[in-house]
Amino acid sequence: MFRGFLVKTISFVGYTVQYGCIAHCAFEYVGEFVSCSGPSMEPTITNHDVVFSERVSRNLCRIQKGDIVIAKSPFDPKMNICKRVMGLEGDKVCTSGPSDIFKTHTYVPRGHVWLEGDNLRNSTDSRSYGPIPYALIRGRVCLKVMRIQSHFLTYILPQRPNHKLFEFELLPFYVVFFQEFFFSSIKQNK
Amino acid sequence: MKTGRMFRGFFVKTISFVGYTVQYGCIAHCAFEYIGEFVSCSGPSMEPTITNHDVVFSERVSRHLCRIQKGDIVIAKSPFDPKMNICKRVIGLEGDKVCTSGPSDVFKTHTYVPRGHVWLEGDNLRNSTDSRSYGPVPYALIRGRVCLKRKKNGLTGRTSSKPVWTTSPKMKCYHAGRPTFSLEIILNHTQTLSYSSCIRSLK
Repeated sequence: MFRGFLVKTISFVGYTVQYGCIAHCAFEYVGEFVSCSGPSMEPTITNHDVVFSERVSRNLCRIQKGDIVIAKSPFDPKMNICKRVMGLEGDKVCTSGPSDIFKTHTYVPRGHVWLEGDNLRNSTDSRSYGPIPYALIRGRVCLKVMRIQSHFLTYILPQRPNHKLFEFELLPFYVVFFQEFFFSSIKQNK
Repeated sequence: MKTGRMFRGFFVKTISFVGYTVQYGCIAHCAFEYIGEFVSCSGPSMEPTITNHDVVFSERVSRHLCRIQKGDIVIAKSPFDPKMNICKRVIGLEGDKVCTSGPSDVFKTHTYVPRGHVWLEGDNLRNSTDSRSYGPVPYALIRGRVCLKRKKNGLTGRTSSKPVWTTSPKMKCYHAGRPTFSLEIILNHTQTLSYSSCIRSLK
């Protein structure tokens, strides 16, 4: 009886390890849901929003200017940051604030990206800690999940801030595409 | 009818083969990700500790538990090319004061390693592009810590089948011998001369 119990335990552990590895690889190479906190990406992503970040673009090096990315924080290896890519390697970016008289520019070095939050007044980003290496980027945010009344609405995030959004409603059995005027009415109700 | 069944059987076998491949591929990937992997190093920047085309084993456990210490040899992603890896020694952790000027400079300059970063330098200081040129590297770029190196045997080869352990007075250097190849366990130490003397004494 003890032997049977031991065999069952070992097979259970084996299955757990097996499916855990498969799930880990799915999160690593396909995408994962992330809960964002902080005000640095308002109004695009607000506090406690759940977003879906896909890993395929990062692994194929297809991150482009205007993408919202999740990256490891350069100051804390256990924290992640969610910012928008404002400059790729070789681009010229403006480092001075909007209120400065003399504008200063800098070039993004090779293998680095320049990140900025959408909420420029309340965001710690590359304007304070400089460009970050591309290898710190974990994934590209492509969807945002929001609950409105009893349904879950999924948004495809725009490439540039305050751009037009397309939304679709995620229901168990079908997907509905909304027009822009319908979406703008929901935006006013928020 | 018979060909239909054959085709269906072949299709089922293909799907199950792909399923098993994906399954064991994921398990192997997680083993490389969380335990360790063999890496082939190239370049002269870590001589004499690690020479060109040396095979080393880098373990990932220290990195995930944030146990990388000063003096460890680490494999990290290059800050200038996300597809390349670099192999250097950790000279300073966050908050440490490191010397940025060369040995020939008259005025020594120092800098403090910022939070969440490490200062990497190669052992071959004259021929190494490291933090002295591109600054401190974020800790999150570190992939693993090098702990074993495959030691190349001479032309005669080793014939002993028992493991051989030797220690030197300054530092411990363990050497295990096998008929075909041997491994050298690289421990945490900052003096490169001790390493080279240990390697010489084992040959």
